[in-house]
Parts: sequence; structure tokens; C-alpha cells
Amino acid sequence: MLSLIGREVYDHLVYVLACCLVSAITIGVMILTSVSGIVQAAYVSSTILMLVLFVGLCALGAAQMYGDRANRISALLSTLAVTRSRILAARVLVGVLTLLASLIPVLIAALILLSLAALPAAFYPRMIWEVSAAVALTGFACYCIGLEIGWTTSKTWLILGSFLLVALLASLVFAKGPGLEAIAILLLFIAAMLVHTWHKFTSASF
Amino acid sequence: MPDTVVEVRNLVKYFDGRCVLDGVSLAVPRGCIYGLLGRNGSGKTTMIRILLGLEPPTRGQTFVLGEDSMRLSAKAHGRVGYVAEGHHLIQSYKVRRLVGLCKGLSLQWNEELFGHLMEMFRLPMDRKVRELSAGMRAQLNLSLAMAIDPELLILDDPTLGLDTVARRQFLELAIDVIQRQGRTILFSSHILGDVERIADRIGVLVAGKLVVDCTLEQLKSRIRRLRVIFPRQAPEDLYITEIVNQQRQGREMVLTVANWNPQKQAILETFCPESCTDLPMTLEDIFIECTRPASALPQESEV
Repeated sequence: MLSLIGREVYDHLVYVLACCLVSAITIGVMILTSVSGIVQAAYVSSTILMLVLFVGLCALGAAQMYGDRANRISALLSTLAVTRSRILAARVLVGVLTLLASLIPVLIAALILLSLAALPAAFYPRMIWEVSAAVALTGFACYCIGLEIGWTTSKTWLILGSFLLVALLASLVFAKGPGLEAIAILLLFIAAMLVHTWHKFTSASF
Repeated sequence: MPDTVVEVRNLVKYFDGRCVLDGVSLAVPRGCIYGLLGRNGSGKTTMIRILLGLEPPTRGQTFVLGEDSMRLSAKAHGRVGYVAEGHHLIQSYKVRRLVGLCKGLSLQWNEELFGHLMEMFRLPMDRKVRELSAGMRAQLNLSLAMAIDPELLILDDPTLGLDTVARRQFLELAIDVIQRQGRTILFSSHILGDVERIADRIGVLVAGKLVVDCTLEQLKSRIRRLRVIFPRQAPEDLYITEIVNQQRQGREMVLTVANWNPQKQAILETFCPESCTDLPMTLEDIFIECTRPASALPQESEV
């Protein structure tokens, strides 16, 4: 399993690093705007950068699947002592690790900045939990979109499909707000995407 | 440990409505070198891919090392070495990295054998796979497949792209593998001389059907080619069952017959031939006769 995870990270290092870089830029912008006292700008810029991060996660998923299909990587891997489910599990695990490595620093930074802003204490726990969960799940859902769309040979469908689905999902979360309903919808969406991707990947011709 | 390493039961595969495999059944016993023959598009690669679980069958079942191909465990995969037609290696990797990956994903790794093969084939570790020639890729693929000490080695046209020397080396290697206890090889090839040299059981696929499945000796002994000289014009009404091919020219008739026996001999004798000479047949001759479009060769149960 470690070899599979290592291969995924090595082959998609650019995407992993890009996501971490966006995360670092987001933290930097949040600190700068907070220090300068323009709270509104902090929200706007952070939201835009989060959208970029979501696109990056989607690109990671798409690159993992598209690269696999185009270079027939699983055709080789699945003749070694691994199963298709394990190949996919390692892939998803790298997506989750990238998501966590990108989002946890942002969330920690946001927490510190919020505590400095001294909002009413009772407001924090639920708001922080809901926003964090919604952001993390949206990021993971975008990654799942990449996995789902990436298993194709058409670059046009890959790009258009990914952008359309990410835009649709992000709009949905923004329209609903980061509450429990949005979290429930995202969880259902992620489950459906993962099951479909798993079914497609394990029954495909390599 | 099952005695049958590979089992195919009534395998059917359709691609876009076209039947590629039509009810194929075969069994490869442990320790056997099974040569799968067939013309281009006869379904050899498809069958091998289904065996490895790379392609789902339309109908039927295949078993490798006692496990259903579509549900092969990682452990079973680890006991099977595979050299694919076209050698599907990760092109963007350096040889060293690819070797590291395969090593990391193997149940066992025979470093000594792998080192010996790399040295024998003179494969560079620091070059990218895409920079290697087709022959070198074939050698690398074979070395990787051999290094895991496979119980079953599946080779899909493995000598394609190899020069004569490398082909000879490969064959010697295959023989070396089989000599280790319990090793089994299933391989398809277009080079019939290679198959004849190492295979002890032969399967011939014609348009998705397995028309021959027997040992090489049985195949050679049961299919006979005879040159018959008649006193006058060769008869047109020579009705012997299981004639694979016949050619007439004046007094001479060249007859290829499956399952030659005394009854058939007696029928031929009634035409009072002047002479009847057995013509030696190589595997290539048999293969060509078997794969003729209107081949009258009987089905596998008969041969």
C-alpha cells in the first residue's frame, strides 16, 4: 500500500504542491487583510482562493485517473500483487491527505484570526464546525468529481465536465450556506461519486 | 495446491457485437508449457487479458490458480508473472524507478535472478522506459515478470520485437523456469518454431473457437499429410472423414487428414494407389492447415 501511495504522490507531486501553495497563499492573504483591518476583503479573497483550491483538488483527481488511463498504469499495477480496489484506495487516500494538508493550516489560521477578532464566544463552536466541515467536504467532493470525470480519453469532456460540476457544486454550497443541509447533500454526493468511481474502475477494461 | 493452474469454462467475449471468443474451454495443468496459437484477431490476447482480470468476460468463467479471474486476490496476482503484448510499462519512468515500484508491489523478489537478467540483457537502469527500444522493453518486461518467481508465467507474444539472439536467450530462460518445480507457462506466439521448441501442449484458436487442444505429440501423430500417387487421374470421389485439406494434380494427391486410422487407410486402399508417402509436418504446416478459412479440422474433442 505504501508503494502505491508513494507512486501516487510522486506522479502527481505538482498538483499536491500546488494545492499546498494555494493554501499557504490563502493564509498569507487572510493574515494581511486581517492585520490591515479590511475584514470584508479577507472574506472575499479567502473565498476566491478556496475556489482555486477546489479546482486544484478536482484537477488532482482528474490527473490521477486520466494519467492512469492514458498511460495504462493500472494495466501494469493490476498484474502485480495488488487489487484494483487497493489501487483506487491508495489514490483516494492521497487525495484526502492533500485535502487535509491544504485545509488544516487554513482552518487553524482562520481560528486564530477569528479569536483575535473577538466575536461572541457562543457563536464560535457551531459556526466553526459547520464552515470547516462544509469547506472540507466541498473540497473532497471536487476531488471526487475529478476522479469520476478523469476516467475518460476525451480531454474536452474532462475539462468542461470538471469545471461545470465544480461550479455547480460550489454554487449549491454558497446558495445553501455552510449548514447541516449542505453537509448532508455533500456527504450524499461524495458517497454516490465514490461508489460509481469504484464500480467503474473495478469493472473497467485495462 | 490445485493441479489445474488455468481453467477456462465456456468463455464467450463480444466486442461491439462482434464475437471474439466463442465458447472456449481449456485447462492447463501444473508444470505445463501451453502454447496458444492463432492468427491475428483470433482472440489469444483477449483470452489472456480475461484470465488476468484485465477484461471482463461476456459469458463463462476463467480461473487462475484456483481463483476466479475477476476476483483474483492480491496474493494470487503476486504469483502470476505477465509479459504483455506491446509491453505496457510506465513509459515516463526511469528503469530504476519502475523496478523499485514492481519490487515494492511484489510478494517476493528474486534479486539474484533479476540482477542476472539485467546483466544478460544489458539493460540500463538510468534511462527512461520510453527511450528503450522495443526489444529492450520486452527484455525488461520479461525480467520484471521473472523476478517475482512466478508460479504461473503468462506471456503474450513475448518474443515480438526481439532479435534472434535475444529470442534464443528468452527461450532458454523459459525452459529454465519450467525446470523449477511446479512452474507453469501459458504463452501465445506467432513464431511457431519457438512454440514447437518449448511447448508441450498446444491450443489453436480459429475465429474465437479452440479447434485444437492437445499435446504436441498427439497433434503431430493425429494429423497426417500423405502424398498419394494413383495409376491414373487422382480420384475426385475420395470420401474420407476429417479431411483437413486435399490438393490434386494429375495422378498425385496431397491429403491432410485428422485422426488417421486403419479404417481410413483401408478406404484409401480401395482406390489402389501406386504409392502412399507420409510427408513430415512441422507445427507451422499443421497451424496453416488448421487456420485455413474453410478448414475441415474437427473440433477439440475430436483431435
